[in-house]
Amino acid sequence: MANQSGQIYGLTILAPILGEDDHLDIGHATAVRWYLAGLPQDHTGPFAKISSTHFCRLVVMDDVVFVGSPAREEHLKSRYLVFESNFDGDLDTYLTRMAREIPDLVDAVWKHCVGYPGVADPAAFAAYMKKCQITTTFFFADVNNKTVDQTLKALQVQSDVSHFIAKNQGKPAVELQSAFRILLERMTKAPAPLRGGKDSEKTAAEDRPYDH
Amino acid sequence: MTTSTKIDAMKIDATKIDTTKIDVTDIQGFVLKGYNFPLARYLLLELGHPEAAQKFIAQTVQYLTTGERWSAKPATTVNIAFTFNGLAKLELPAPTLDSFPVEFQQGMRARGEILYDTGKNAPEHWDPVWREDRVHVWLAVNAQNQAALDQRCDLLLQIATQTGGAKLLQAQDACATYVDGHPKEHFGYSDGFGNPDFKGADRKCTPGQGKLTENGTWEALATGEFLLGYADESGELPVAPIPHLLARNGTFMVYRKMHQNVAMFRTFLEEQGRLYPGGKEKLASKFVGRWRDGTPVEISPDQMDPDLVKDNNHNTDFTYGKDLSGLRCPIGAHIRRGNPRDSFGFNGDLVNRRRIMRRGLPYGKYAEENEAVQDQDEHGVIFIALNASIFRQFEFVQQQWIEYGNDLHQGNDKDLIIGNHGGKGKSVMQGTADPKNPPFICASLPNFVELRGGDYFFMPSLTALQMMASGTVDPR
Repeated sequence: MANQSGQIYGLTILAPILGEDDHLDIGHATAVRWYLAGLPQDHTGPFAKISSTHFCRLVVMDDVVFVGSPAREEHLKSRYLVFESNFDGDLDTYLTRMAREIPDLVDAVWKHCVGYPGVADPAAFAAYMKKCQITTTFFFADVNNKTVDQTLKALQVQSDVSHFIAKNQGKPAVELQSAFRILLERMTKAPAPLRGGKDSEKTAAEDRPYDH
Repeated sequence: MTTSTKIDAMKIDATKIDTTKIDVTDIQGFVLKGYNFPLARYLLLELGHPEAAQKFIAQTVQYLTTGERWSAKPATTVNIAFTFNGLAKLELPAPTLDSFPVEFQQGMRARGEILYDTGKNAPEHWDPVWREDRVHVWLAVNAQNQAALDQRCDLLLQIATQTGGAKLLQAQDACATYVDGHPKEHFGYSDGFGNPDFKGADRKCTPGQGKLTENGTWEALATGEFLLGYADESGELPVAPIPHLLARNGTFMVYRKMHQNVAMFRTFLEEQGRLYPGGKEKLASKFVGRWRDGTPVEISPDQMDPDLVKDNNHNTDFTYGKDLSGLRCPIGAHIRRGNPRDSFGFNGDLVNRRRIMRRGLPYGKYAEENEAVQDQDEHGVIFIALNASIFRQFEFVQQQWIEYGNDLHQGNDKDLIIGNHGGKGKSVMQGTADPKNPPFICASLPNFVELRGGDYFFMPSLTALQMMASGTVDPR
C-alpha cells in the first residue's frame, strides 16, 4: 500500500479551501497562509505534541501549472490546503489524536476548508479527512521502517558506534573488547534522546561529550 | 496533410528535436571543449569608464577563441567572462541587468549560506581580490608553453592599458602535469575524467558522459543544460537575460579558488591507510571513487588498471545501479557525490538537470610523493564549472550532494575531500565481509580543501560581446 512504508504512514490530504466571501476582509486562502506563517517551526510547534509525528507540512496550493513539453494547460478546481504527515501507527488513531490533542490548531486551519465538520466529534473529523485523502506515492529520502523513538535511538547508536569505530578500528582484539564494554555500558545508561530537532545544525557527535 | 499526421506533428517532444546544429563560431571555445593545455593564466580585471571598457572589449574580441574546429592546436587560446558588477560597470541597460538570474546578480560571496562557504571557507579567509567587488572580468589564456602564455597576456594587457578600459587586479596562474592525458591534482589523483556531453558539441557521446537511456546506452544531454537559448532537459529555454541575442550561445561560469592542504591530506591518508586492511592506496580510491591513477573503483574495486585508465571509451563507462550499498564504490565517494548517475533510481533521470561542465586546472607546483610539503605551500585547484543555471546545477550539487548527504542516505556527512568539515566531519566507506574490503569510518575530519575566493561569471557569445562593445544591448 502506497500510504504505508513499513510501519510508517504517509498521509496526504488535499482539502479544498472555501471560495471568496464578501463578508471577510481577506480571503480564506490568504487567512490560512498568514496563520500558518505565524506557527513555530521548531520543537514547540503544534505537531510536536503528537509524539508519533516524524514530520509534517502544511501548504496552501493555489494551482498546479504544467511545466514541460509538450505544453498543456490545466487547472485545479479550487485552491487546496495540502497537509502531509509521516507518523507511526494507523490513520484513525492519528486523526483522533489530532482532534483531541491539538483541536485549536485543527480548527484554526481547517475552518477555511469546504465541508469541515469541526473536531467536537473526532469520528466525523476522521471521516472528513479521509474524504480529502489522496494516495501518497513518494516518501522523503530518509524515511525507513523505524518509529520516531526507534529513529532517535538509532541515530544515537549510529553516532556512538561510528565514533567508536573511528577511534578504535585496527586496535588489538583485547583492547577493542574492553573499549567496547565501556561503550556498551555508557550507551545502556545514556538517557533517551531528546525529541524535536533541537540544534539540527549540530552533528550528533557534539551531543556525545564523553566521546572525545 | 492528413488529420493524424497533423496531430503527430503537434505531439513532437521538444526534448527529442535534434539541435545538433549550433553555431560554433559564435560560441566561446572554452564552453565547447576542454583545451587540455598545460598552462593557463586567469587575468582578473577591473573595468574602467564604460566607453573605454567598450573599446577594450572590441579590441579583445578579435583574439577570442571560438568553438571552431581546429586543424591544429593553436599555441594559445583566449576567453572572457564578466561578473554582474562588470556588466553593471559597463552600464548595460537596467532592464537587462535586472533580467539576469538572482544568484548571478548576487555573486558567489553573497551566496555563502547556501553554498556552506562558512567557517574556514568564509569570505574573511579569501584572497583580498575576492573580498571586494572589483573583479569585473575574467580573461583567460590557456597555452602550450610559457613563452606563448606570456606573449599573449602581454598583448591583452597592452590593450587594457592603451584603451584605459581595464586594469589588472591579479593574474592567477594555473598549470597541470599531465599523466596519460589527465592532469594530476595535488593530492595525487589523476583528474579531469569525463564531462557531460551535450547535443551540438563537437564530439560524439562517450559512454558514461551524457545521460543514461532506458536501454542502458548513453546519449548527449539537451544543449540548453549548458548553453543559453536552447531547449534544456525539460524542453524549456533556460532562464536568461534579455535581449535574447545577448543570452543566446552564452553560459554561466562558476570560479572557485580551492587551496589544498597537501601535508594534512598525506598525513591523514598515511595514518588511516595503516589502519585500513585494504592498504593506503585502496583507501585513497574509496575516498574519491577513483584510484589515484584514475582507475574507476566501480569497475575495478581491487586494483588499479592502467589499460582502463588510458581507454577513454571505457574509463567513464559505469553505473551504480547494481552497487546501491556502495560495496565497490562508497556511496559518499567524491565522484559519486558530484555525479550520482543512477544511484537514485529512475534510470538516472534525477541527475540530468544537475550536471556541470568542469574546466578547471590546478595551481602551484606539483609535488611528488617523496617531496616534502607544508599545508601553506601554494597548492590548489582553480575549480571552474559551466552551466546554464548556476542555481539549479552548480549550487544544487554543492549544497545537497557535496556539503550534505541526505539524498545519498549518508545523513549529515559531507564529501570527504572537499567538504567544509570544520574538524567534525565523518565519512563512511561501506564494505563487505572480505577482510580486504571491510567497512571503514573516518571521523574528526578536517578541511583538506579551503576556499580562497571566486565568483559567478557570464560568458557571452561573440555576438553578445559585439553588442556590449558597441553599446547596442537593447532590451526593448
